[in-house]
Amino acid sequence: MSFLKVEDLYLYYRTRMGTLQAVDGVSFSMKKAESLALIGESGCGKSSLAKCLMRLLPRNVELFKGHIYLDGLDLMELNDEEFRKTIRWQRISMVPQAALNSLNPVVKVGEQVAEPLLIHKSVDKKEALEKVRELFSLVGIPQAFMDRYPFELSGGMRQRVIIAMALIMNPEIVILDEPTSALDVLIQASIMNMLKRIKRESNLTFILITHDVSISSELADKVAVMYGGQIVELNDAESFYKSPLHPYSQKLMASVPSLREDKQPEYIPGAPVSLINPPKGCRFADRCPFRIEECSEEPPLVSLKDGNYVRCWLYAR
Amino acid sequence: MRRSRTFLLRIESLGENRGETTLKREHKRMLRYVALRGICLFAVVVVAVYITILIANMGGYVDQIIKSEIRFQIGVSVNQNPAYKNLPPSKKAELIEGLYQQEIKRLGLDTPFILRSHQYLVKALTLDLGRSLYLTSDTGSRLVRNIILERLPATILLFTSINLILFFISITLGLYASRKYGSKLDKLIVALSPFSSIPGWFYGIFLILIFAATLHILPYGGFVDVPPPKDPFHYALSVLKHMILPVLSWLVAYTFIQTYIRRTFFLMFSQEDYVEMAEAKGLPPRIIERRYILKPTLPPIITDLSLTLISSWMGAVITERVFNWPGLGTLLYMAAIMLDSPVIIGSVVIYAYLLAITVFVLDIVYAIVDPRVRLGVT
Amino acid sequence: MAGIAIILILVGISIYTITTIPYERAIYLWQAGKGIWLDNPRNALPSWMNLFLPKKLPETIILDTAEKQRGVTKIVVPFGKTMSKVIMELTFNYNYDDFPSEINLFYSSKFTSTPPQLTVYWVKPNGEKFKLKDLTLSEKGAYYISNDEELVKMFINRIREKLGEEPEYGITTEIALFAKEDKSILKKETVSPLKGKYRMAIEGMLFEKDSDVNVKLVVYGKVHGMAGTDHLRRDLMIALLWGTPIALSFGMTAALSIAVLQMIIAATSAWFGGRVDFILQRLTEINMTLPFLPILIMIAVFYKLNIWTMLLVIVALSIFGSGVKTYRAVFLQVKEFPYIDAARSYGASGLRIIFLYIIPKILPTIIPSLVLSVPDFVFLEAALAILGLGDPVAPTWGKIIDDAFSAGALYKGYFYWVLEPSFLLILTALGFALLGLSLDKIFNPRLKEV
Repeated sequence: MSFLKVEDLYLYYRTRMGTLQAVDGVSFSMKKAESLALIGESGCGKSSLAKCLMRLLPRNVELFKGHIYLDGLDLMELNDEEFRKTIRWQRISMVPQAALNSLNPVVKVGEQVAEPLLIHKSVDKKEALEKVRELFSLVGIPQAFMDRYPFELSGGMRQRVIIAMALIMNPEIVILDEPTSALDVLIQASIMNMLKRIKRESNLTFILITHDVSISSELADKVAVMYGGQIVELNDAESFYKSPLHPYSQKLMASVPSLREDKQPEYIPGAPVSLINPPKGCRFADRCPFRIEECSEEPPLVSLKDGNYVRCWLYAR
Repeated sequence: MRRSRTFLLRIESLGENRGETTLKREHKRMLRYVALRGICLFAVVVVAVYITILIANMGGYVDQIIKSEIRFQIGVSVNQNPAYKNLPPSKKAELIEGLYQQEIKRLGLDTPFILRSHQYLVKALTLDLGRSLYLTSDTGSRLVRNIILERLPATILLFTSINLILFFISITLGLYASRKYGSKLDKLIVALSPFSSIPGWFYGIFLILIFAATLHILPYGGFVDVPPPKDPFHYALSVLKHMILPVLSWLVAYTFIQTYIRRTFFLMFSQEDYVEMAEAKGLPPRIIERRYILKPTLPPIITDLSLTLISSWMGAVITERVFNWPGLGTLLYMAAIMLDSPVIIGSVVIYAYLLAITVFVLDIVYAIVDPRVRLGVT
Repeated sequence: MAGIAIILILVGISIYTITTIPYERAIYLWQAGKGIWLDNPRNALPSWMNLFLPKKLPETIILDTAEKQRGVTKIVVPFGKTMSKVIMELTFNYNYDDFPSEINLFYSSKFTSTPPQLTVYWVKPNGEKFKLKDLTLSEKGAYYISNDEELVKMFINRIREKLGEEPEYGITTEIALFAKEDKSILKKETVSPLKGKYRMAIEGMLFEKDSDVNVKLVVYGKVHGMAGTDHLRRDLMIALLWGTPIALSFGMTAALSIAVLQMIIAATSAWFGGRVDFILQRLTEINMTLPFLPILIMIAVFYKLNIWTMLLVIVALSIFGSGVKTYRAVFLQVKEFPYIDAARSYGASGLRIIFLYIIPKILPTIIPSLVLSVPDFVFLEAALAILGLGDPVAPTWGKIIDDAFSAGALYKGYFYWVLEPSFLLILTALGFALLGLSLDKIFNPRLKEV
């Protein structure tokens, strides 16, 4: 039984240069307490997908349709106010990219983390702060920091605060958008360790959005690779890391420097496909080393077991 | 695993303060900040007054004040002294003159001014401003200090009301306009802001033209009807009636540009990451507006307000003249016309104080509003 | 864009003015010395107002026997050995709906010992003729008909005889000489001038052989020129025109010099850092808290300034203003840019770095605020003039308003006196403001596109 099921999701933006098809017919499903890693280059639409799930849409949206089933409930059928009151942050929360400026500079950190509790559940202040204290120790922040302001904290600390904030309402799904890209390697490691610990100790469903293939391997149970606004491969993590199917996934894996082998990391020639007026047929065709004639047509979704699939002609026979 | 985690934690928190409870820490910092600003501003006042004195005395006016004061005192003491009661007037005059010259010598008033200026500086700073040449206060006093202090409330009343109203209107409208970015109201505000290059007092002239000279529904100027109503309620009403045009003139002049500035600030600040985060947290729009847009924007608004208030003190002088408002500005004007130098100098000193106090108050507000300042982080 | 258009118009006016009327002459005219303006009416509205008014206001009519004019005749008939009779007739058409503001008869005569004598008659269009006065002339003088009380009394008697009643209000000589003499004359609301041909007939005796006499009749209108006149009969166009280049140059010079000087101070502060920076910053803070206008007023009062010295003082008081802080912030930023170091390393001289790299970075900040500050200075000058502290001699817009205020223009209804210079002030301010704001939007886009 899928806990989160996304079906035919579309998000188009209206820009000065035309319609930007950020999310172009994305579908996937996840079980409860499963973690999904959403991998892709910048500009492939992964952050837009996150925005869809949180319904944090900007003003220039041209098209937003599809289905998002959370435990059977279609989120797309709720109006904005209902969504805000019942879903956002309470069932799905988010740790945004480059979180360093995501904290209100003039409000104390403890208060900010407690805020959703106070607003949504009208819990009294003492109780809320108690919960904050719990969370702080969970993510590894000293209690004294509750009364500090964001500018008094280092980058790593702020990231932890944001993670704590994302957990305060006991959501069922947490989306992490590039949780470590703005931090140095040492802090990165400690944050990833914390996330792993939390995953073990709770049954949260994580969606980890990243362009860093290596990080995702630590947390993910399932991997989805995005390219040009579409998911081109959806597979179990183990199968994926052992043998990626889609040529793009293969290239991605090959680009990770290897600690043990003496292999040179590869790169993918060309630039990511434009989301405005994407080409007909397979979007990766221009850069694909295995391109065949059929690739000028829209490739089919080739089903693998467990609801996984790969979008490539190479596997269609 | 465990060891590495605590190790990393310790590295992270190396940069932070430890120890005292946060509240006490904040209070101490706040006090230190306030004290520092107070001293700075006082130094400013000292310099300002000193410059004033120097400028004034390049024309010998300060000495003039001192000398006339001395002459006055001597005259009074001689006239009251029973020993001299029976002297004929000419002899008295001679006596006064003689004592006067003595006194001048004694005080060293015949030496160059530069060397003596610090004395007058102290007097000016403590508001011991001497006697006026021509003007008197309503109570008949010739002490410059009294004359000025009498006029001060009127100025403060008008000035404060105008600026408070302007502030609240500009913030409310600015917030509203930023919410509706690109709407007609927004475009209107932008389009009308060039009209703010014309100062308030100028609009005042037109308002007088329209409402007083042509329509006759509001008074030309002044503080209160003549003769003033006896009971306090009607007196207050009359004052309010007289305040309408001056306040209106400033509102017409400055609402648009102020709203434009605030709205631009709000727009800039609503594009910040933490605002998006607040939305993600599912906070209702009202709260986002208040806590995530308004609150962080207050510091730069306060800074801007500081500059605005300073320049509005200047504009206030002319506005008072246009509307014949019996405040410090009109006093300065009359003193200027009559060349009553003690009053002129005294007014400048008071203005220096007023400005410094304004900046001081705003600095405190700024510190309350922006924790970064209190806690001493650049 | 409209801003540029406005400014160009103003600049055009300035250039035109400067080239046609030299400055000294303007000041001379504006000083309103001996009788320069005597032929102008007082407080007259601009002529084009007549296009909009239901009642046509009269223009000034001048008839001078010394000039060759239509309607003016002068005949000298010798009479005996040395005497001569002189007959002068000044005729004009009066077709206006309102009365003249003033009537004066100026004369000049030439004689050795015995002054000529004149008798002045007035002939209305309906043929009625009556005597105004007997005059014994001096070399140069005037018969101020408007002030002739006897004439008024005589007229009131006439009316009483004619109509049996006296008028219910205070009659003036202008009304006496020009009104329709029927029932309408009795009430102020209904009195109106008789339209038609009027004649002033003057008969006189010259007693010496070489004596001569010339008269000039001035029937003062209520409108004059393009801009009207003020209480000293000066044509306001002079001050309005000349105010333009003064205002423009004052405003722009002040804005420009302050901006440049502030920039230099900021640059020095940012470049040298350390002690220099500290001192300059403290100076700036102190200066910002000084009460600018009161000090300016004080200086203006104590040391009578002319407009250009005042400019100097204003600049001096403003150079350590808030601009220094803003520019310094930009400079500090720019100083750290890597391409500065790069330039240094390839041996570029300091000057070259400053002009090629640093200044372009700061222009986007300076230029809009420079342009926007011009109106402030123009109004500052006007404000000082209104406070009575401006240059007493220069014909500026502010001075016009000051004169208007002092003469109670608003109470007396002489709105045009205040409106005309105000209009120009507003125009100037809007011109620069529009330009400045558009420049700001171009140079400093601060907001994301929607």
